[in-house]
Amino acid sequence: MQAIETVTVGSGGAASITFSSIPDTYTDLMIVVSSRSTVSGVNDALDLLPNGASGNNSLRYLRGDGSSVQSGSETTNLVSYTPGATTTSDTFGNASIYITNYTSTSSKSISTDGVGENNATSVRSAIIATLHSGTTAFTSLELSLRNGNFVEHSTATLYGILAGSDGSTTVT
Amino acid sequence: MAQTVYDPPVSTYIPLQTITLGASASSVTFASIPQTYRDLVLVINGAMPNSGGEPYARLNSDSASNYSAVRMTGQGSNYSAAAFTSNRLGFFFTYGSELANVIVSLMDYSATDKHKTTLSRGSQAAGRGAAAWASRWANTDAVTSIAISHEGGDYPSGVTFSLYAIEA
Repeated sequence: MQAIETVTVGSGGAASITFSSIPDTYTDLMIVVSSRSTVSGVNDALDLLPNGASGNNSLRYLRGDGSSVQSGSETTNLVSYTPGATTTSDTFGNASIYITNYTSTSSKSISTDGVGENNATSVRSAIIATLHSGTTAFTSLELSLRNGNFVEHSTATLYGILAGSDGSTTVT
Repeated sequence: MAQTVYDPPVSTYIPLQTITLGASASSVTFASIPQTYRDLVLVINGAMPNSGGEPYARLNSDSASNYSAVRMTGQGSNYSAAAFTSNRLGFFFTYGSELANVIVSLMDYSATDKHKTTLSRGSQAAGRGAAAWASRWANTDAVTSIAISHEGGDYPSGVTFSLYAIEA
């Protein structure tokens, strides 16, 4: 796994974070995000838009918020939840987004672990399984918040993961 | 916005081996795993056996009931959790042949003074949903081989298995 690029949001915040011109030389990709939203609330949805576009996604999630557990399915671009402006000051949520076989021209499977932060109850943590049924290789990835902007000091790092060649693997 | 591009990129995972199945297979074994790293990461990606069940591993060919696990699963319409002991190291539970990925972190695999623990994340959006498993192998031996199978039968052609190492 190799760190390709880190984006740090500067003064004034940002509506989105984009990794563009992603090299096609890796097997898988991982994004690690530390973020906080300007939304006036506890949770904001963090979306991942492959090649800048929404759609072609189906997902199932398991999430908890300190007092209850839910599981559901959506056809959105949700990958995690980000704490909003009413959570404890200076707390940032984080997420790890694993994207398999991103250069494939068939469906891709995405796995996400995400956690909000709040020095109180009622902030969401989730694991999410996503099927992206688009048949275009991912050359750019955009992170955006559904209802707010990324605050200053939010960061996202893109990693490339290159699988090894076959060695003494035994297949039966 | 500050942007840092790592040129050249900075390595963290070290690729050990990978295989893409050219034909269906009942098991894949990573043998003679080097003992020079701290942790291992296994990534399985592809279609699953249609009959469903657990993708799992046996460490060092141990098929005794030395594995224990706790897991939580969200299937979309419901969720569940369980704890159990088994004769295999479970990662996930798949349903149907839909595309899935499983990411397994095996901690301190080369240590000889502790039981081995794993954290697994399974994702099958059109099947079983999202799951997290924590497992333990009750053995202090270093892990030298990992044999991967599926309760539901053969892995289909095209499934990939990749093993990575992490240095401390």
